[in-house]
Amino acid sequence: MQRKFSRSFDELKHIVAMTVDFFEKQDLEPTLRNVVDLAIEELFVNMVTYNTETSDDILIQMSPHDHGIEVSLTDNDVERFDPRGAGPVDIDAPLDDRTPGGLGLYLVLKMVDSIHYEYRNRQSKITFIVDRK
Amino acid sequence: MFDIQFADDDIIAVEGRLDAAQALKAQTFLDQVEGRCVLDLSKLEYVSSAGLGVLLKTHKRLMGGGNGLKLINVNHHIHDIFGYSGFDKLFEIVPAGD
Repeated sequence: MQRKFSRSFDELKHIVAMTVDFFEKQDLEPTLRNVVDLAIEELFVNMVTYNTETSDDILIQMSPHDHGIEVSLTDNDVERFDPRGAGPVDIDAPLDDRTPGGLGLYLVLKMVDSIHYEYRNRQSKITFIVDRK
Repeated sequence: MFDIQFADDDIIAVEGRLDAAQALKAQTFLDQVEGRCVLDLSKLEYVSSAGLGVLLKTHKRLMGGGNGLKLINVNHHIHDIFGYSGFDKLFEIVPAGD
């Protein structure tokens, strides 16, 4: 299953609808959905926020993987950004030292089972897998 | 779907999905809150980092006045997110069922 989405946070509800549809058709464990939704949102929002040099739609592809799901997000005509290199977050820092932001990619890296990055001809493709634990 | 409103004098009910598209609505509402504040998250289905940022910003503002946010009826999934984020060390959290 694949669909293209415009570069707007308003698309998040349509992305969730796509995920719900995929989970139903593949009869996947519903408890995996929150992790999948979170990973897709954080990666999509990151692309929309920081890849401002393009107006192309973002392609999201979903396919079954064992008892879970493999998801890819592809962004065209952008600079290289490998989310696996996102900086650490000090989750033990006291309140005064915590600032909003910076948690999104950290959560993705903590919660998905694996994540892969490809960059070719200015096309950035992030693929992650969430499987039954 | 996302909604935030006063359920009682001191309790604010948060419902639905607090994602990047709804963060501004949540922040606008919580910016009006003063003093001790309790958020009932029993109907919150989902929160992303954008929603966590709203909670953190509000908590820091209220803590500056000697108060803060208390989060009650937190479901298992949301509690996991708070744990991964270190929010369980920053907020007073009451899990659902307690």
